[in-house]
Amino acid sequence: MNENHRDLLEGLRALALDLPREAPAHIEEKLRARFRTEKRRRKLLMWTPVFSAAAAAGIALLVWMHAERWKPVVPSAAKSNVVAPAAEAPDTGFYPLPEAEALPDIETAMVVRVELPVSSLQLMGVPVNQDGTDASVQADLLLGQDGLARGVRLVE
Amino acid sequence: MLESPSRSDGDLLRLLSAGDEKAFIEFYRKHQGPVFRFALQMSGKTEIAEEVTQDVFVLVMNLGRRYDSERGSVAAFLYGIARNFVLRALERERPYLTVLDDPDGDFASRFAKEAAAEQDLVGGLAQTERLETLRKALLALPPAYREVVVLCDLHERDYAEAASALGCAIGTVRSRLHRARALLAEKVRASERCAV
Repeated sequence: MNENHRDLLEGLRALALDLPREAPAHIEEKLRARFRTEKRRRKLLMWTPVFSAAAAAGIALLVWMHAERWKPVVPSAAKSNVVAPAAEAPDTGFYPLPEAEALPDIETAMVVRVELPVSSLQLMGVPVNQDGTDASVQADLLLGQDGLARGVRLVE
Repeated sequence: MLESPSRSDGDLLRLLSAGDEKAFIEFYRKHQGPVFRFALQMSGKTEIAEEVTQDVFVLVMNLGRRYDSERGSVAAFLYGIARNFVLRALERERPYLTVLDDPDGDFASRFAKEAAAEQDLVGGLAQTERLETLRKALLALPPAYREVVVLCDLHERDYAEAASALGCAIGTVRSRLHRARALLAEKVRASERCAV
């Protein structure tokens, strides 16, 4: 190591000591304030997915309830002895059965053609112009997804 | 008063990342000095040094959990961040930096003058002038050479730590330091010749 090199290193050591050892105090204050802000922001961010999920669930529930209210009572399938349902709910001509009010709403439905005694239809509240109580007529039964009858209509 | 000053850097980083303000302040107080000095020695500007110090610790509060002790010491981690901010600031201020032509506009002149006022006027001024010359020569070095001198000679970091901070090989640090010192000596000599 020559003298010039030694002088240079000594100069550098002196230069290292020539500066303030600490950052100004106001930086710590600024950082402290920033830390608190960041902490609040992070807390907010942490709860954001929860709020979003809750809001999404709420919206989904509202949409579902709205859709259920306006869902037409239209049968979706028919079997061999089943007649295809009418396209529009108001045109189906089914008389709602009194017991059906207590049943869950229809999600999927099926129409089954059966032969019923007139007396049974009268008990169901269906106006039938047949005098003889022993007589039978053809009728369509509207069954829900649980297999329980929701409505009945006479076959023309 | 901080509660437990003996906590390790790893613990402090984990705690501050979880939102512990005391841990953050403890970490800051422990490391702010070297970060501030590094930025000051690299830039020659107090305002850049303050801005860099602040940016480094804001980054730590947000991304401190990413520190991996296997990749180097916390000091090297902080020097690495500070270096990136300094280089960015220097790049931004490049058109305005006139290191050698602006004797009153930067930090060292101010600190040197303050120091000179407290020293013996005859002996002190000569020393102050030598430091001033050296400081200017250092600031005139290209950043890649300046940073190894600042880390290895001014901050007395070993080659491995400097390499970790700079993201290069130890051999690169060694060769750059050798070249930087030669350039520095040359600049100092040239400056002294001009003064005579």
